[in-house]
Amino acid sequence: MTSGRMELVCPAGTPATLRAAVQAGADAVYCGFRDETNARNFPGLNFSAAELAEGVRYAHDHGSKVMVAINTFARVNDVDLWKKAADTAAECGANAIIAADIAVLDHVAKNHGPTRLHLSVQAAAATPEAIGFYASRFGVRRVVLPRVLSVQEITALNRLIDVETEAFVFGGLCVMIEGRCYLSSYATGKSPNLNGVCSPPEMVTYDDEANSTVARLSGFTIDRYEPGEPVGYPTLCKGRFTASGKTSYLFEDPVSLNAGGMIAGLKAAGVTALKIEGRQRGRGYVTEVVRAFRKAVDAVEQGGDAIEIDRILAGQSEGARQTAGAYNKKWR
Amino acid sequence: MVTENTEPRLAAVVRHLFPAFAGLPLGPLLTLSLRSLAGRQPRLFDRLGEHRTACYFIDPIDLAFAFAVVPDGERSIVRVVRKNEAAASSVLIRGPILTLLSVLDGTLDGDALFFSRIISISGRTEAVLALRNTIEDAELRPADLLGLRGALARLADTGILGALSVMRQMADRNSRRKAPEA
Repeated sequence: MTSGRMELVCPAGTPATLRAAVQAGADAVYCGFRDETNARNFPGLNFSAAELAEGVRYAHDHGSKVMVAINTFARVNDVDLWKKAADTAAECGANAIIAADIAVLDHVAKNHGPTRLHLSVQAAAATPEAIGFYASRFGVRRVVLPRVLSVQEITALNRLIDVETEAFVFGGLCVMIEGRCYLSSYATGKSPNLNGVCSPPEMVTYDDEANSTVARLSGFTIDRYEPGEPVGYPTLCKGRFTASGKTSYLFEDPVSLNAGGMIAGLKAAGVTALKIEGRQRGRGYVTEVVRAFRKAVDAVEQGGDAIEIDRILAGQSEGARQTAGAYNKKWR
Repeated sequence: MVTENTEPRLAAVVRHLFPAFAGLPLGPLLTLSLRSLAGRQPRLFDRLGEHRTACYFIDPIDLAFAFAVVPDGERSIVRVVRKNEAAASSVLIRGPILTLLSVLDGTLDGDALFFSRIISISGRTEAVLALRNTIEDAELRPADLLGLRGALARLADTGILGALSVMRQMADRNSRRKAPEA
């Protein structure tokens, strides 16, 4: 069981959102540079070096930490962009670098000792052996856990490792084992793991056709919406397809993770930090979610019961169906 | 799930105050305003990247005219255009004027409005995303667009945002009256 107070790690896609997250009670904020070194490489999003330096100053002045995600995989013979990103993050005073690629981990370990290294969820390290390797070889201090483990498995894992663990509690879910998705690459030639973009927006279209709106990715029809039906951003994993004459969400229902009810369980499992997904989300959304989770985490730390936690988080539905994901998996 | 769109729209009386010709002076005024903003906050437009030269066709559905906006920093252009002039634009954004203004001042979340189809978007999705993220980070207040500072800025922000809030409430009430029984 973790002895200290659990840390709330919150997303920031822009400097304004970083400030909003800090004001809403984030213990730490994670963000990335405006290039393909981070897994949220979308137009208009992310930080320049100057913005990161300012953001770090702001966060530190308000008692929060900043973690920089340099968590995509570097291209063969082209690692310099990733190394430079790590150098810049360290120069800006980031508290931690979140990385997955061994070349990036190696570079940070050799050149930026005082900066903490966190293993990105993209590395998909879910066994004591894998985590032990990253910890002993590169001095990784924290592992962001893949969203495939149950609370029981996290408990068992934490007993066998001596690095901190961070668990996602809210936001979008990914159907594939983290860092192993080829769907977007197949359709568009770009992937979240290499270029930082799943469903790159330049290949997304919404077309009004025959009394419906059709969402396409690189020409592939991902979904078709009736008039008035809420639309979604087209990702292949959450598309509606027809197979064997039946139309359904073939790979994954468009549900969001909400493990708010499991905060106490995750604390008991030895988790050090709770992570909110959503660097692509606006500051209004981030403020609301962070504020609610701040209250919930504080209530858990003070021994609040499950009913109180549920009440605090009742409004956090994102307007979509929710799941506790693998934390509560019943099929094993 | 199919939902009924009851997003507030301008009351008819307000719409009549803005016939097509009434929008014409807005073009040069908004152009000046954007260029002046770019002079004061050049970094704000950097976030648009290559999309700063895109033409955004913004169509408030409850006004008689639309806007063609090229947000290219100190070379920005805003033109008041007819509703049928969208063809040459990179992006078309359509929605009630009060809702569009609420996205601009950060009162409402553009993503949620799009996904619930209160505003509609077509054209280059990447340019829309760049604009959305730029607006999100800009934290614009009316005084920023008017180039005001100090007490005058606070007065303008309070007055304009207060007036918008009242108009939204009036429009909300109007929409609720017209909404069908659930």
